[in-house]
Amino acid sequence: MAENGYAHPEVLVETDWVAEHLNDSGIRLVEADEDILLYEQGHIPGAVKLDWHVDVQDPIRRDFVDKAGFEALMGRWGISNDTTVVFYGDRNNWYACYSYWLFKYYGHEKALIMNGGRAKWAAEGKSLTRDAPSITPASYTAKEPDDSIRAFRDDVRDTIGNPSFALVDVRSPAEYSGEKLHMEGYEQEGAQRAGHVPGAQSIPWATAANADGTFKSAAELREIYGGKGITPEKHVIAYCRIGERSAHTWFVLTRLLGYPDVRNYDGSWTEWGSLVRAPIEKNV
Amino acid sequence: MFDRQGYIENLLDYYQNPRNKGRIENATVSISGGNPGCGDVVTMYVTIEDGIAKQVQFEGQGCTISQAGASMVAEKYEGQPLEAIEEASTDDMIDEMGREVVVSRLRCATVGIGTLKGAVRQYRQDRIKQEIEAADAQTRA
Repeated sequence: MAENGYAHPEVLVETDWVAEHLNDSGIRLVEADEDILLYEQGHIPGAVKLDWHVDVQDPIRRDFVDKAGFEALMGRWGISNDTTVVFYGDRNNWYACYSYWLFKYYGHEKALIMNGGRAKWAAEGKSLTRDAPSITPASYTAKEPDDSIRAFRDDVRDTIGNPSFALVDVRSPAEYSGEKLHMEGYEQEGAQRAGHVPGAQSIPWATAANADGTFKSAAELREIYGGKGITPEKHVIAYCRIGERSAHTWFVLTRLLGYPDVRNYDGSWTEWGSLVRAPIEKNV
Repeated sequence: MFDRQGYIENLLDYYQNPRNKGRIENATVSISGGNPGCGDVVTMYVTIEDGIAKQVQFEGQGCTISQAGASMVAEKYEGQPLEAIEEASTDDMIDEMGREVVVSRLRCATVGIGTLKGAVRQYRQDRIKQEIEAADAQTRA
């Protein structure tokens, strides 16, 4: 184990490591931001931009791009099955972790997160460029989607009242309590009802991050999650509004703490909060 | 008006070289709006003379789209009658910013126009209140 005590420290790389590997042809940097125009203001040399709204969503039905679509995307970005993909982004690597989870969903093996994300890279004065990366298209074969890391609404329903399961709601306390239907600024992505899935514990996703955007130590994380009954022997499902914030928590629980069975419910509150007769708890 | 890249460049220009940015100390009306939870905050300052928004400026912080949008709005409506602000369509503003670019961040895109409309609303309400108070004072006199 590394000094920070993570279960899988090999999935995190530091900014200095990335700076030393900018010209490594076996590595592809992928920037995924919440502020969707940050990349255009300057990105790490060689990085491609992953815009969750444009690149990885099925344009018609509510789902991710299918296997063929994912393969085409990888090909365009010059990512082959052997490429090491390093994700980074703004806001504590929120979307970077979401992207990591999605790449794992399609079975990409060599995936890393740059600890501290874009903010740490910029704070250290490391170079950013507006130049588009030079990319040689690659051939990519994705695996079948790995539903063992993705939860659906029936999976969530089955957890209710079952002590071997644990649900973690990573939204803001106001969303969890039922005071608000949606996150501030995302009114178009609300649900019909407010509250949380019965039995879910409230642990806002960013609790796992330090002020500089790096992840908290394993000891701190164990206290945060274990203290609320989110423990490794349980089957854990994390959810938020549409599965982005909860993908960050999924990364923390599986990669940093080594929990063996954690799924991300990307239907999340926008689905559960709109389901007819779905049980809901409110604290207000 | 622009292609996708053109809209992006336009927004970046407004973000990096903001027009109409800064506090107006003696503004007729100022009001704050935004999405504090996601970090977008905008304050609009408006100096009003004879029903015209003579000067419109903003202060704020947040994502590229929210700050660029606030700058575009302040520039666009400076010198315009208040009715133009009241009748302004948020949908048109979204089109001006590039719907395709801002579609996943509509709240961020409209925080500027929403706050400016709020400022005019506040001004109207204050005026009505003042008129009622003046009428009351006259009656008492």
